[in-house]
Amino acid sequence: MKKLFLAMTASVIALSAQAEPVKLTIWGLDGDNGLIPTMAKEFDDANEDIVVEFRAVAFDDLVNETLKAVATGNPPDMISLDNPDFAMFSSRGAMLDITERVAASTVIKADSYYPGPWNSVMWDGKVYGVPKATNTIALFYNKDLFAKAGIANPPQTWDELLEDARKLNDPANKVYGLTWSARANEEGTFQFLPWIQMSGGGYQAVNGPGAVKALDLWKTLVTEKLGSQDVLSQGQWDSTGTFNAGNAAMAISGPWELGRMSTDAKFDWGVTLLPTETAGGARSSAMGDFNWGIFAATEHPDESFRMLEYFVSQADRLFPEFSNIPARSDIALPSTGDARKDAALAVFQEQLKYAQPRGPHPEWAKISKAIYDAMQQALTGQATSQEALDQAQATIDGILKG
Amino acid sequence: MRILRSLTDGIGFDLILIGAAMAFLMAMAGLPLVYNVLMSFQEVDMFSLGSLIRPWAGFDNYRSVVAQPEFWLVMKNTALFVVGSIAGQFTLGFALALFFHQNFPGSATIRGLFLVSWVMPGLVVGAIWSFILAGDYGVLNALLQGVGLISEPVFWKSDPNLSLYAVIIANIWLGLAFNMLLLSVGLAAIPRDIYEAAELDGATAWQRFRTITLPMMRSTIGAVLSLGLIGTLQQFDLFPAITEGGPANTSNVSQYWAWQMSFKLYDFARGATISVMMLVLVLFAAVIYVRSTRGEVRG
Repeated sequence: MKKLFLAMTASVIALSAQAEPVKLTIWGLDGDNGLIPTMAKEFDDANEDIVVEFRAVAFDDLVNETLKAVATGNPPDMISLDNPDFAMFSSRGAMLDITERVAASTVIKADSYYPGPWNSVMWDGKVYGVPKATNTIALFYNKDLFAKAGIANPPQTWDELLEDARKLNDPANKVYGLTWSARANEEGTFQFLPWIQMSGGGYQAVNGPGAVKALDLWKTLVTEKLGSQDVLSQGQWDSTGTFNAGNAAMAISGPWELGRMSTDAKFDWGVTLLPTETAGGARSSAMGDFNWGIFAATEHPDESFRMLEYFVSQADRLFPEFSNIPARSDIALPSTGDARKDAALAVFQEQLKYAQPRGPHPEWAKISKAIYDAMQQALTGQATSQEALDQAQATIDGILKG
Repeated sequence: MRILRSLTDGIGFDLILIGAAMAFLMAMAGLPLVYNVLMSFQEVDMFSLGSLIRPWAGFDNYRSVVAQPEFWLVMKNTALFVVGSIAGQFTLGFALALFFHQNFPGSATIRGLFLVSWVMPGLVVGAIWSFILAGDYGVLNALLQGVGLISEPVFWKSDPNLSLYAVIIANIWLGLAFNMLLLSVGLAAIPRDIYEAAELDGATAWQRFRTITLPMMRSTIGAVLSLGLIGTLQQFDLFPAITEGGPANTSNVSQYWAWQMSFKLYDFARGATISVMMLVLVLFAAVIYVRSTRGEVRG
C-alpha cells in the first residue's frame, strides 16, 4: 500500500513536470508592436507547451549585451542580430549549427532567399541562422529638377552621375547635386563598400584601381561642392531629409525612406539602380537588416527551431504589417496603393539581387573602421585616395591573417 | 575587555572607520582599476570576457595600440583638447569671476543663472551645439552669414581643421560656469583690507591683481586647473553628440577612442590599454599639481 502510494506520488510529480511549459527567451530591438513581440506572442498563444519571453534591447547595446550574455554562459534561446554582427557569434560557435534542421525543414528553403542575405548567415559552409528581413540602397532622384535641368534619364554610370550632379547643382537655390552619407561609422561603410564591389573589389580587396576611382569621384563631389561637406558627419536619415526638402537633386538611400518621402517630398521623385562603373558594368549594392539565430547554449533547440519556422512561415506579412522587405525572392509585395512607392519598391527588389553582405567576418567592426577611416581621410584631403585605401588594405590584411 | 571597549571609543573605532572607508574605496574604485590594468596585459575574447584568468599578453596590447595609424593623431588631439578647453574655461571663467566680483546690483543672481550650462547633461549640451554648429543649416553659420563675416557656410563638424575646435568650444561653454564659481569663491576669501592698504600705497589695478589676487588665489587656481584637467579628460558625452571623433579621427581623443575600441570594435583589451595609458597621464599631472602646491604659503 505504501509502495503504491509512493508510485502514485512519483507519477503525479512526473506528470506535472511534463506539463510545465518550456520557456524560450528571445532578444531583439523591435518595439512594442514590432515584428518580434507580435509574432512571439502569437507563437506563445498557439503552443500550450511553450512560453515565450521577449526582451527589447536598444541597437547600440545589442552586441555588447549579447557578448556579456555569451561570456557568462547565459544567452537567450534566440536573437535577431544586425547581419554584419552575426559572424562574430556564428564563427565562434556561439550560434547553433542548423544546417541539418534547415535541410530537413519544409518551411525554410535556402534557395528561396536572395544570395546576399543568405550568405550572411553562413560560416564555413554551415548554416547558423535565417535572414529576418533585408534592405539595400539605390539612387533616389528628383524628377522635377531633372526636367528643369533638361536631363531625360537618371544616371546609369559613375561618369553620368558626376555629370548630372554638376548640371543639377544650384548653390543659388541651395540645391546640391547629390547627397549621401560618408559618416565615420558603419553607415559610411554601408554606403561606400558597394562602390568597391562594383569595381570588382570587396572588403578583402579595397585598393584596386576601381575603388580608387570611386573614392576620387566622391572626393570630386565634395571638393566641387556638388554634395555638402556635411556628408562626412551626417547619417543617411538626415542626408535624405535634405533630399526630401528639395535641397539635393539626388540621394543614395534605402527603402526605409519611402514612407517619409511620400509625405514629405513636394515633388515628383523616382528610384534607379546604383550607377555602375561603366555602361552595363557589374552591379552591386549594400545589404542591411537583421538575421535570426539560435544560441548553441540553448536547452531547447527543438522548440527554438519550431519558433524560427513559425516566424519564417509568416514572411508574407512582413511588408504589409511591418514595412520590412522579406529577404526572399518568392514573395511578391502587395501594392501599397501609391504608384510611386510601388515603382520604387520594384527597383529596390531588383537591386536586392545584387546586394552583398558586409563580411561575413568575425572582426567585421574593425574591417569596417579601416574602410570608413580611409574614405574619410581621402575626402578630407589628409591622404590621396590611393594612399588611404593602401593603408586600409594593410590594416585589413592584418585582420584577415588573424 | 580593553580591546572591546576601544572598538566603541578609541583606536579600535578609528580603525573601523578607516577600514570601512578603505573597503569601500577598494571595492568601488580599486578593484575595477586593478581589473582594467590586468586586462590590458591579457588576451581577451568573447568567451574569456567574464573570467579573471586569461592568456597573458605582456606588452602586446600596448605595442599594437601605439602601432595603430591614428595613435599619434589621437594623442595630439587629446593634448590640444585638454589645453584648449582648460585655457578657455579658465581665462573666461576668471574674467567672469572678476566681473561679478564688482558686486553691481543683480550680480549674484546673474552669476547664479550662469550655472544653467553646468547643470545640463553633456549629451543635451552636445545636441544643442551640434545643432548650432551644423554646416548648411546651422544657427552659427546663419548668424555669421547674416552679419556678413562669412559668405559660405563653415562646416564646423565636417572640416578636419575645425572639428576638434567645435568640441572644444562646446566644452568651454559647458565648463565655464564651474570655473567661474570656484574662482568667485576664491576671490571672496581674499581680505579686502589688503587691497585697501595696497591702494593707499599707490598700487595700480594691474599691480594689485598681479601681486595680491594671483598669489592669494594660488591654491584655488591649482584646484581649478587640476579639476579642469580631470573633467576634460573625462569629457565624453560631447564627442558622440557632435562629431563622433570624425572626420577621419581629426576630433578623436583618447577617452572616446578607448570607448570605440571596447564598445564599437569589441576589442576590450585594447580599450583597457588606452584607458590605462590615460591613467598614467593623469597620475603624472596629479604629481606635478601636488608638487606645485606643496611649498605654498597660506594667508
